[in-house]
Amino acid sequence: MADPLHQAASVLKNWARRTSPWAVHYNSGSCNGCDIEILATFTPRYDVERLGIKLQGSPRHADLLIVTGAVTRQSRERLLRIYEQMPEPKHVVAVGSGAICGGVFRGCYNCLGGVDQVVPVDAYVPGCPPRPQAIIDGLVKLLRGARNSADPPAGDKGSGSGDGAGL
Amino acid sequence: MTVTEDALAKGVELLKPWTEETNVPEKGRTDVILRPENLLAAVDVLHREPWGHLTSITGLDLGVDAGEIEVLYHFRRQAAVLGLRVRTPRDAASVASIWDILPSASFMEREMSEMLGVDVVGMPPHGRLFLADDWPEGAYPLRKDFSPEEAAQQRPAEDRPGDAAEKPQRFIIPIGPQHPALKEPGHFEFCVDGEIITSASARLGYAHRGIEKATEARTWVQDLYLLERVCGICSHIHAMTYCQGVEKLAGIEVPPRARAIRTLMAELERVHSHMLWLGVGAHEAGFDTLFMYAWRDRETVMDLLESLSGNRVNYSANLLGGVKFDVGDGQIKAVLDGADILEKRLHHYLDVATTDESFLIRTQGIGTMTQQQAEVLGTVGPTARASGVTRDLRLDAPYAAYPDFPVKPVVASGGDLLARFVVRIEELFESLRVVRALVQNLPEGDLAVRVPTKIPEGETVSCSEAPRGELYYYIESGGADKPERIKVRTPTLANWGAVLSTVVGCQLADVPMVLAGIDPCFSCNDRMVRLRTESSGRRLWSWEELRRYGIEYYRCKTSAT
Repeated sequence: MADPLHQAASVLKNWARRTSPWAVHYNSGSCNGCDIEILATFTPRYDVERLGIKLQGSPRHADLLIVTGAVTRQSRERLLRIYEQMPEPKHVVAVGSGAICGGVFRGCYNCLGGVDQVVPVDAYVPGCPPRPQAIIDGLVKLLRGARNSADPPAGDKGSGSGDGAGL
Repeated sequence: MTVTEDALAKGVELLKPWTEETNVPEKGRTDVILRPENLLAAVDVLHREPWGHLTSITGLDLGVDAGEIEVLYHFRRQAAVLGLRVRTPRDAASVASIWDILPSASFMEREMSEMLGVDVVGMPPHGRLFLADDWPEGAYPLRKDFSPEEAAQQRPAEDRPGDAAEKPQRFIIPIGPQHPALKEPGHFEFCVDGEIITSASARLGYAHRGIEKATEARTWVQDLYLLERVCGICSHIHAMTYCQGVEKLAGIEVPPRARAIRTLMAELERVHSHMLWLGVGAHEAGFDTLFMYAWRDRETVMDLLESLSGNRVNYSANLLGGVKFDVGDGQIKAVLDGADILEKRLHHYLDVATTDESFLIRTQGIGTMTQQQAEVLGTVGPTARASGVTRDLRLDAPYAAYPDFPVKPVVASGGDLLARFVVRIEELFESLRVVRALVQNLPEGDLAVRVPTKIPEGETVSCSEAPRGELYYYIESGGADKPERIKVRTPTLANWGAVLSTVVGCQLADVPMVLAGIDPCFSCNDRMVRLRTESSGRRLWSWEELRRYGIEYYRCKTSAT
């Protein structure tokens, strides 16, 4: 298995993925609080583009799915579709209390709960809403923890704990 | 008699032929009880006069025992609020649609019909606005006997019949719910003739969480935190409007210092919200440089909000009965310094928005709404003021500290996107002036007074001027520690009719700008345009068919001219 050429290509691919992850943002039923903080994270003061992270439109070009808000009944299918349209390897970041467990909207008739009820989540960023610094912290931890694999097995995603695996 | 009393007397006089009973629930409000069959005549006479604009339609389920549903139509003329109330039996609930007379009612009627199961007779065919596509038929969340558990288990038997069956062969461009031009989820379908939009429809509800129902299961204090999260952008004004309503019901006077701090937060929130919109508006025009600069400078006001409240978003400044924090000398200095920086930058942005040639091409004469349209469509806030309609609750019905710190009206007459940019930026100069006046003349005194856990029985309408326009809360208490009913009508809902009609005739490429022009807030709103299923008239075109259609289309067009 130790094909040196294959290994070198793998290291190169992983480096490229880690240093230029493209993100797509979806609001699955948030109050907007997290969304404006995510947008702030991409603007000059916080500027995550320093880390190579770029916000762009199509899920088909994205490596990172940033989800905010408790998942509503109407949003569920759309969230799944966006997730499925993303190419592997892909990572999901749940930003805010709503996206983690439903937050203040837990128990509302149209809310299904957290994002992990619908798609597997790699990193959770707590806060209602989290500050931009917290969002950056979550993204950095996720990128550090991103495994060196071209094809991660289902259900065995990077935990976002920042153990540096694969670096 | 004051102007308000005059206006109410005039309204009552107009409605006399159909009036069953008249009530005065509180100062500045009169309720007129009508028989359902007289509703159309009553609305028509108010519209012809014209007596103010339709603020909101609220449905109340009076419970299984009473067996009735009451529908309230609130009209506002400056500080005067006139309510029309009709009752309909619960098991065969129906009211006539006032959509013909007031197009602005259409979204409100659809919302009420979905949430309470009231058949609105005479509405144009439509699909669901807020509830999910897979929501079971016959489950109405705002009815008192609604069980969320049951609704969660039920799945629809099959696709409901499509609502667009009568509109075959249209070329539809779907936008959203996830789309680069939308920062929030909403779904729009634009029918196009070449590049020109011929009709537009919206399906909202992607962020509908069911907050109104949830308020009924939480205490008055818990609701404060929930309602603050109706919207993360204008969170303070939601909490403040709610508090003002509850305080009115409890008969409590909030100390002047608390009122001033609430107003200070509300104006700083307006600054952050409009600057956020300025950036997003510029981004939709492809002017990302302005987007980045606007957001960089917006951090100045975010810092101020944080230094005052401890939070950047969801400031949690309000308590029932007052505010949570005081403002010290250091903070006052920071606010004054911040206001100076912001004012200087805003002058620059006003200059860019009104002189940059390529930007002007994207805004001048685009999405124009005349003053008359703005009136008829019931628009509110800066969207209305950009079309020359002076509608501002801070002036019309001053609340909190606005009687002592009055704002001057900012109005433009253009009605196009440019006017909406100019109005919003100029409004900020006014906001900053009020902010300075507030911190320099903060009244002394307590920050809060006690409010009982149980709120006396009654109902009230609490309104305020949110960054996007008139925000309306209807609060009803049954005397318990939890509210009986809370209805929220957000400014975005009132403005949707406007955007969907101004977009017709626009170029497809201008759509994101026009949508952003009203500063829509989906989270606010979703507490509405439906995804059509395959059976409902959408057609897949093969390349050959499309080519033939194209040739045929242009042949007809050339022979016609």
